Amino acid sequence: MKNQQKQALYGYLYIAPSLILISIFSLIPILMTLYFSFTDYNIIQAPTFTGLKNYIRMLGDPFVVSSMKNTFIFTLFVVPTQTILSMVIASVLAHKFQNKLGGFIKSSLFIPVISSTILVGTLWSFLLATDTGIINTFLALIGLDKVNWLGTKFTSLLSVCLVSIWKNVGYFLVIFYAGIMEIPKMLYESGQVDGANKYQQFWYITMPMLKPITFLVVTLGTIWSFQIFDLVYVMTGGGPGRSTITLVMTIYNTAFKEFSMGYASTISLLLLVFIVIISSIQKLLFKDNY
Amino acid sequence: MNKNTRKISLNYMILVTLLMLIALFAITPFAYMLITSLRQTSSLDLDIQFNALDFTNYSRVVKNFNLLTNFKNSLIVTVCSCLLNAIIASMAAYGFAKKNFPGNKFLFNIYLITLMIPGQVTLIPVFTIMRKLNMLNTYPALIIPILNAFGVFLIKQFMESLPDELLEAARIDGCSEFRIFYLIVIPIIKPVLVSLTVFTFITSWNDFIWPLVIATDSKMHTLTLAISTLKGSYSTNYGLVMAGSTIAFLPPFILYIFLQKQFIEGIAMSGIKG
Repeated sequence: MKNQQKQALYGYLYIAPSLILISIFSLIPILMTLYFSFTDYNIIQAPTFTGLKNYIRMLGDPFVVSSMKNTFIFTLFVVPTQTILSMVIASVLAHKFQNKLGGFIKSSLFIPVISSTILVGTLWSFLLATDTGIINTFLALIGLDKVNWLGTKFTSLLSVCLVSIWKNVGYFLVIFYAGIMEIPKMLYESGQVDGANKYQQFWYITMPMLKPITFLVVTLGTIWSFQIFDLVYVMTGGGPGRSTITLVMTIYNTAFKEFSMGYASTISLLLLVFIVIISSIQKLLFKDNY
Repeated sequence: MNKNTRKISLNYMILVTLLMLIALFAITPFAYMLITSLRQTSSLDLDIQFNALDFTNYSRVVKNFNLLTNFKNSLIVTVCSCLLNAIIASMAAYGFAKKNFPGNKFLFNIYLITLMIPGQVTLIPVFTIMRKLNMLNTYPALIIPILNAFGVFLIKQFMESLPDELLEAARIDGCSEFRIFYLIVIPIIKPVLVSLTVFTFITSWNDFIWPLVIATDSKMHTLTLAISTLKGSYSTNYGLVMAGSTIAFLPPFILYIFLQKQFIEGIAMSGIKG
């Protein structure tokens, strides 16, 4: 009995440092965000309660509306593209290139993953520069006109999407690759016996077996799309106009440029609601897998 | 060689070419960054004179823009957050996995819930807390928010496979609680600690929004933050910005070359959490 109490005490001691940190920097802040969202708060004066004012303001805020619109376009374009690309490359590598070459391809595609988004964004905004950028130089070589990639509404969002895919494919590739390696070889062998060709094997064996992982990749990709900030900060600053503004960028500008911390907290909660919904769907559907 | 194998090998060659192109597409921008950093030109053309390459941009970026201070800040923040995260998370994971105490399950479920909350959502309150504690522009403020429940979750999963009998035997032999943790538990969880450290390293080295908010004094800027400032104010001095970027790129890249397997595992695992 005494030993049990001692063990319990040790348990508390072991988790104490972590629990204190999680409480102060995760749990309490969530409650504070909730509280701030109902107040007017400019960080110098104490928050004053304003009821639902921030929530009503949010519904008609052009920056929030644009952020949502951009996020949806971004998600609809980026998530399917990067998911399919990484799944196909992973499957080709796992089935045909389990050798040095395959390893090299995988390692190369992982370099953008370990680099910071700020670095990647800086690099690509130089490559996409209108007058001096290498992309336009290539376009000129094949006789096409210069494109003002980051300066016009449609192409700026497109550029951010493409760079984001470029950075993330290596990450999802690794997740898919690990998943494919866990599919029992037997399935492919019996598929071959039944006369299924490579494409049929991909369609009837690989894809169904990867369903939980695909769902995970789509969920993660969607959550990341909702959180995008660094890339637009460094590439477009949210512009031109509001064409690449995002929720997190609106939160940042509202809180740290206009010092409307209360209203920015309301937008933060909107972001939280989306993310909780997305990850709950994934957890409910695939409880046992991940 | 019959017709059939020739057809297969042609397909194979096309596949290899395609994959090589994809790999090149991923690497070339970085090679381009390196070459541009060695050039003295405000143009980004491909007319590269290889005998005119030198390190002028590097010495300028270090002398005039205090990039070494930023480098030092990044290094301090990254090393401390890696160490603290490994220590605090493995302690908590051990407590949750191997100690029975009232509230164990409940508290761990709360940890799992916090994993869902992205840092941007708590940016404002954490900033207000740091400000109240007079910690703006300090190293602890840059380090502490990087620690989260992910490490605890990761290590706890790994610890489930650690046999209770082993710990019990050590206890009967009179091994003290602290020595059990230090001499038995830590060596066993080493592989997962490496993965966690790689993940923490990348997260803190590349972190942007938190340093942007908390480090208002440029002397406290991390390297990643410095790159964005450099790009913002010298956007046409390509060589200079690329030199700074290369300096920021190298530490994770060099580590990646040596610890490729751990990198890929550690970072891929982060997605497969909760």
